[in-house]
Amino acid sequence: MDFVSNTGEQAKEMLQAIGVENINSLLTAIPEAIQLDPPVKDDGLSEYEGMRHMEALAAKNTFPSFDHYLGAGAYDHHTPAYLSAICQKSEFLTAYTPYQAEASQGMLQTIFEFQSAVCALTGMDVSNASVYDAANACAEAVLMAKRQQKKRRKVLIGASLHPHYRGVVDQYLESQDVDLVTVPFRSDGTLDIDFLEEAVDEDTVCVLLQYPNFFGVIDQMEEVSARVKKHEALFILCANPLVYGLYQSAGELGADIAVGDMQPFGLPLQFGGPYVGYIACRQGLVRQMPGRIVGETFDTEGRRGFVLTLQAREQHIRREKATSNICSNQALAALATLLGVLWYGPEGVKKLALTNYQRSAYLKEKLTAIPGISAYSNAPHLNEFVIRTEGPLDALIERCEKEKIVPGLPLERYFPNMKNHLLVCATEKKSKEQLDRLIEVAGRG
Amino acid sequence: MVKTLFEKSQKGQKAYSLPKEDEAFTSFQPPQEYLRETPIPLPEVSEIDLTRHYSGLAQRNMGIDTHFYPLGSCTMKLNPRVNEWAAALPGFTRTHPLAPDEMVQGNLQLIDETLAFLCDLCGMEAGSLNQNAGAQGEFVGIRMIAAYHREKGESHRNELLIPDSAHGTNPATAVMAGFKTVSIPTDENGDIDLEKLKAACSENTAGLMLTNPNTVGLFSPVIMQIAQIVHEAGGLLYYDGANLNPMMGIVRPGDMGFDVMHINLHKTFSTPHGGGGPGSGPVLCKKRLEPYLPVPRVREEQDGYGIEWSNGTSIGEISSFHGNFAIYLRAYLYMKLHGVYGLRRIAEMAVLNANYLKARLGHLFTIPYSQPCMHEFVVQADNYLDKGVKALDIAKRLLDYGIHAPTIYFPLIVKECMLIEPTESESLATLDHFVEVMEKIVEEIHSDPELVKSAPHSMPATRLDEVKAAKEPILKASSEQCACC
Repeated sequence: MDFVSNTGEQAKEMLQAIGVENINSLLTAIPEAIQLDPPVKDDGLSEYEGMRHMEALAAKNTFPSFDHYLGAGAYDHHTPAYLSAICQKSEFLTAYTPYQAEASQGMLQTIFEFQSAVCALTGMDVSNASVYDAANACAEAVLMAKRQQKKRRKVLIGASLHPHYRGVVDQYLESQDVDLVTVPFRSDGTLDIDFLEEAVDEDTVCVLLQYPNFFGVIDQMEEVSARVKKHEALFILCANPLVYGLYQSAGELGADIAVGDMQPFGLPLQFGGPYVGYIACRQGLVRQMPGRIVGETFDTEGRRGFVLTLQAREQHIRREKATSNICSNQALAALATLLGVLWYGPEGVKKLALTNYQRSAYLKEKLTAIPGISAYSNAPHLNEFVIRTEGPLDALIERCEKEKIVPGLPLERYFPNMKNHLLVCATEKKSKEQLDRLIEVAGRG
Repeated sequence: MVKTLFEKSQKGQKAYSLPKEDEAFTSFQPPQEYLRETPIPLPEVSEIDLTRHYSGLAQRNMGIDTHFYPLGSCTMKLNPRVNEWAAALPGFTRTHPLAPDEMVQGNLQLIDETLAFLCDLCGMEAGSLNQNAGAQGEFVGIRMIAAYHREKGESHRNELLIPDSAHGTNPATAVMAGFKTVSIPTDENGDIDLEKLKAACSENTAGLMLTNPNTVGLFSPVIMQIAQIVHEAGGLLYYDGANLNPMMGIVRPGDMGFDVMHINLHKTFSTPHGGGGPGSGPVLCKKRLEPYLPVPRVREEQDGYGIEWSNGTSIGEISSFHGNFAIYLRAYLYMKLHGVYGLRRIAEMAVLNANYLKARLGHLFTIPYSQPCMHEFVVQADNYLDKGVKALDIAKRLLDYGIHAPTIYFPLIVKECMLIEPTESESLATLDHFVEVMEKIVEEIHSDPELVKSAPHSMPATRLDEVKAAKEPILKASSEQCACC
């Protein structure tokens, strides 16, 4: 099938108007030697056949039938039902980047409100319209910091940053004039603050840390922040935004740039994308910001309106001098997360965060009470924590999978010396019955 | 006056619900000294008011579903709703990106088949779907070119040749990846100037970034010579796949001599534009560049598919997980529905629609390049400058007639440029209507130029003060407006 409107007769009429015999006469610029023969057989499907095909493919994924405890940057939260009703509205779904502001006031205002919501959560002054994902946000934030601190060369990054995010930061920084220094973590997953204190100096561009970190640990960020500020290095905080419903905000902690992924507020797991990278900063850094930013203004009749602004930073104007090559961002997914944040509101965001904390705290206490299982860290957490097994972790995982449970993410792949360490996540979606069942199965060993 | 949601807050109202608390849980309390002290300045709004607010905003926006949208270079074709249906299947939405391989075989098969189909369509041999948009695809492609030269001991190749008609992302990407850019001028036929290209090639040439058909909608008849010149200089060819729509089933970038490329799935493959994303930017390459493709990669193994999270030659990671899965899933279905047969039909009809419009608009505007175009074409709207009417004014007046404006002032090489791309979706009646509207606007320019210069008149806003927005930036709702604090 196809979605072409015109009939063969209409095509003929159009060819006549153009003054050519056939469509091939319009393709003469293409060297004949490389032109393909038109396919003779229709190898497409009907819409119905296509739907059956997709259902069959989806059915090959057995994962949704498991009770799982995976997090690590992709969190299984409730998606409010009204999200898809709004996001599927034609004018949001099928519009493009709001270049024609007069015809795009709806989208521009939603982006403005997204920026406002990100600022509200993080406690920062300014947000952009979104970047791709948390990993990309981390990389763009370090590039921002480098633009601001051109003469400095040292970039400090916590070893407890999500390894995938770190991979992407390395990717973006390889061609930059910087030295990457990794700040190690201590044996309980907390940041080695002494190392940090030693390492930060007058040549330090920025310090990038995660909150909670990859192991679910909430570090003593106030202490960290003070040490970073002493040398006027920029402090970049990468956070699951749900943390701001409970723990100190990036603003309170004195962060200069706050980044992360808005996915926990309403986007399904969907195998890792689309998610929504957010990037917010202090007012003074706004001109280093990558990507789209929407601002408020007036029209010629004096009515309030919204436009893309500060565009002198962007690739379509500045080309090789742009702050980034980003153009498309995650607009529709950003709208979904905005709707998620607003559905919870100021009180709901706090309660959601607390509920996540309490359910995971319960699970952590009960799991680590099992002989042979211990807690990797006693530092505060949000909704993730690491457990350590005395015996082989594989046995526990196998036992759980037989009972249709995926108990968490083994960490050995990322940190070879963390054999038998499992990263476990429990959100508001976990009932006491579910948690008790995992505890029971884990305890059988 | 239009209100933001932050100004609609009513103390104590809410939309959320949470699972019931349980005594077993409530005894756990986080440590006091770490807690947030400042309020979260979000509005308090019930679900009905949230819904009305955003329904109202939707009505203040144009989309393809509601209006003809001939925005050049953006390929605003129908976004079939069957794509949305598929992306919402719980079998896909409930899969975690770090789930054990054997539990997500459907996803991995989809990734493998999508890449195979795209490679076949483009004459390439391997690829990655991990890039979240076209610009990220460009970045990865250029990083792969850098890795290739490094491996050959030719790290000194630090220049990328880029035509002056290129998308702004090309030079921005080159610089982000650590290259110098060398701009190649366009000749009077709208094509790359071969002599200047030759002169620009040197031992420092890493490669050429090229869009073909280019941004004025023309296929380069000397593409094979271009490829030869760059390859002989030791450079590689990067294909910007933004304009792939009219190529499908007709000619393949791989056969034109390109070594690596990206595709914008939200253009050619109908995934929703969503007001500016999410996109998806698959990267495809020839065998010699395959070792450098980003990880993770999906591999077909004896007993199914597996994920390779790292290898010794890859440039590494580019996204948090596997890219925008739910976006390339839509593109996959679109390809399945069409087959190569249907995709070729798309390409032909896109070319036909564009050439038809171009022929019909010739009496109103200067047509700088008279040869047949591919999927889009430029008109030079400088005929009415004596009346004080610019391309911008015509674009704004189109909005009043219920048509989204074409891309204007791009590419930069054409004066008062309007880049028009009707896509294969549109019917003859819509195209004829567009011509009639353009004729009417030209009449207005003669009879009442002020009407055009002050357009639009029927949109939710008249022209907006962009200078004020940039000079006195207001970038978020002020927290005083929010009742909660």
